Amino acid sequence: MKGLVFGKYIPIDSIIHKLDPRGKLIGLILMIIAVFIPKSWWAFLVIGLLVLLALILAKVGIKMIVQSFKPMIFMMLFLLVINSLTVKTGDVLFTIASVQVYSDAVFNTLFVIVRLMLMISITTLLTATTKPLDLTLGIEWLLKPLELFKFPTHEVAMMVSIALRFIPTIIEETMRIMDAQKSRGVDFENGSISSKIVSILSLIVPLFSVAFERAYELADAMEARGYVPGAKRTRYHILKFKYYDYIFIFICLATMVFSILTRIYL
Amino acid sequence: MSLIELKDVYFSYNDDTKAIDGISFNIEQGSYTTIIGHNGSGKSTLAKLIAGLLPIKSGEILIDGLSVNEENISKIREKLGIVFQNPDNQFIGSTVKDDIAFGLENRLVKSEEMEKIILEYIDKVGLNKFMDYEPQNLSGGQKQRVAIAGILAMRPEIIIFDEATSMLDPKGKKEIKQLMADLAKDDTITIISITHDIEEVLQSDNCVVLNNGKLFMHAKPEEVFSHPEKLRDIDLDIPFIEKVKEEFKHRKIKLKSSDLKGLVKELCQYHSNH
Repeated sequence: MKGLVFGKYIPIDSIIHKLDPRGKLIGLILMIIAVFIPKSWWAFLVIGLLVLLALILAKVGIKMIVQSFKPMIFMMLFLLVINSLTVKTGDVLFTIASVQVYSDAVFNTLFVIVRLMLMISITTLLTATTKPLDLTLGIEWLLKPLELFKFPTHEVAMMVSIALRFIPTIIEETMRIMDAQKSRGVDFENGSISSKIVSILSLIVPLFSVAFERAYELADAMEARGYVPGAKRTRYHILKFKYYDYIFIFICLATMVFSILTRIYL
Repeated sequence: MSLIELKDVYFSYNDDTKAIDGISFNIEQGSYTTIIGHNGSGKSTLAKLIAGLLPIKSGEILIDGLSVNEENISKIREKLGIVFQNPDNQFIGSTVKDDIAFGLENRLVKSEEMEKIILEYIDKVGLNKFMDYEPQNLSGGQKQRVAIAGILAMRPEIIIFDEATSMLDPKGKKEIKQLMADLAKDDTITIISITHDIEEVLQSDNCVVLNNGKLFMHAKPEEVFSHPEKLRDIDLDIPFIEKVKEEFKHRKIKLKSSDLKGLVKELCQYHSNH
């Protein structure tokens, strides 16, 4: 679990960290559109430079982003093979084992890869610079219009924030149960698939039973402190847009418009 | 009129066994009451009934003259807070400050006023250094202190501690017991503590002993412990000091002190006189 980079919050102080989570979420949506629309390298260059600038401002470190690309290497190779076999337009670049590789196959693959890399960079940038709780508040705000259709945005946000709060607790619990079962002779690492399934079962059953017990106690604790689902509540954290949030959203919007224009005119 | 009145309360989880079997007693405002009994005697059930977390089968519980039922529950919740046993399962917010804010948010306290209240109670439980910590970076005792701060911030008249120290290490236990003793000095707060800790009972004003869902005894702690054989009958331990007194009683030496210092003095005097 320690190697997990994607989606991890990095607590440092930067201008990107200070941005309003709602603004960042809107920015994320705009940038994803901007990444998926264009077919011109110019657009990717501009978006890439902007993302790089944001990464530098956020002090996240390029290393971390590069690390999050690693799981994609296999997918890139897979895409290249599939594209080489199916796309037969453009010029023949070279021939391997009697398969002619056309230029469009390589370009198509590169396009997809660049898009994915930009997407991953943008989302990692969001999760690395925004506290999970702030993210929940932002998502809740974005879902507000759904309240017209009786969608319980507040309850969903409460559920998500409690789930986030309990992730470390449950991981700790999992480790403890694994140790307890190991000490009773359960082998999680070796053996056939069927024996592994049996050992995993000896982990999952107690884990679920403890999780349910926790849920009951948590419900009691919440109720005792006056929580009524669906009732009006005030907020401790109040989100406020500042001037730099508007600038940020404007930049993202301009990028999206630019990438749409490149699609039309280039 | 007493602050809390229990009148012939019955409760059962299923139909065959009564978890609470016709209990009546009163708790005065500003007092510190401990509830003891062996496992399964109905202690925690009784706490949940008083807090309105379980519905009473028959009988009545009055808090400040209000009957604990569906209709009055929100008014009762304003008067009463409960600290549970497991420090992890009552930590709702993502940081110490957020957790204290949770109750205030439910109470519709305005955001501008919240910060001041939160800081006041963080200070009261001595967690100033930890206010932005996440629960996984706090010890059990610290988490329990957060829970207490969260409840104090809601300014309740009654605080129920449901075995609040039983999952803590000795250091955490000591800290929480000290905090409880400090709170007990405040006459506006009524404390009910469900406990296995016999030594804690000596700190309290009154002690309720439960056995198999029935009220076994309701008296001052000294009086409760003056019948060690009765307590042993229902599988309860007695404090160290009472054990010493009992042993000496078998040897026809009567000791009167109810605290350790006094006992040592009495024993020394006895030794020099004989």
